Amino acid sequence: MSGPARPSWTGAVRERAVRALPPEKLLPDSQPAYMASWIYLFGVLSLVSLMLIIASGLILGLKGPGWWHFTGVGHFFNSIHLWSVELFFFFMVIHLWGKYWMAAWRGGRARVWMTGAVTFVVAIPCALTGYVSQQNFDAQWISTQAKDGMNAVGVGAFFNVTNFGQMYSYHVLLLPLAVVALVVAHILLVRKHGIVPPFQRSALRKPPVDPTEADEHPVLAREHAPGNGSPAAPHPVSRGGGL
Amino acid sequence: MTAAILDLSHPANTVHWHFFLMSVSNVVVIVLMLLVFAVAIVAPFPGRGVKGPKK
Repeated sequence: MSGPARPSWTGAVRERAVRALPPEKLLPDSQPAYMASWIYLFGVLSLVSLMLIIASGLILGLKGPGWWHFTGVGHFFNSIHLWSVELFFFFMVIHLWGKYWMAAWRGGRARVWMTGAVTFVVAIPCALTGYVSQQNFDAQWISTQAKDGMNAVGVGAFFNVTNFGQMYSYHVLLLPLAVVALVVAHILLVRKHGIVPPFQRSALRKPPVDPTEADEHPVLAREHAPGNGSPAAPHPVSRGGGL
Repeated sequence: MTAAILDLSHPANTVHWHFFLMSVSNVVVIVLMLLVFAVAIVAPFPGRGVKGPKK
């Protein structure tokens, strides 16, 4: 056989993936100097909390409600699961505030911002279905209250919060799957586009200028330069990966 | 079953001012988030300002 080999779909996918995320971008060992601030830690803190939620949830699922309601170790893991959810939302809200005030959608990062925002929205019902999956009187009480809320907004025909099987499936499979898929997409997009840089203080003081004149304007030229809002070029000062 | 550290056998305490109505525990969490957010911006990060190796 001779002639050029036909490209396979696996080869095309691999080439596209490596082009979008070369190994040094996927697992960087340095980060821009501006990341030396506590506010940049809340993404990874949210991620660690999510890992704790999933790990403790898997153990709860394996052992069952008789264990998590009536044994000391079961109570412990039940509490781990609850408090890691509390921390997940605590850190995620601060992460969201920080990124909002940084305008983290700058420099072609709109999809990074959107996947983060949608993750937050999907994580809320993921957590709330946990309340009605406890298998106790608390869950029964909450589900009867939630039923009125769902009917009031007109979605009671689709989501029956008094149906334990449906709510448990949403809580342990469907919504966690969506959250994890969104978080993976979010992290890969962060790795592709880099961490959003802070605003240039000098740029904030200048009057607005026609963007077409950016090349002639030193401040806008800097704002459009790599690492300043456009896909990042890491400055090897701060060590370690970040989200 | 072990007892809770705090007595939970009562309706939630709330902060009520005009249209604003929220449980004290939720208010505490929101205030804590605002505090942590402010501290995260203001507090100096260890090693900030240390220059990396010159190329």
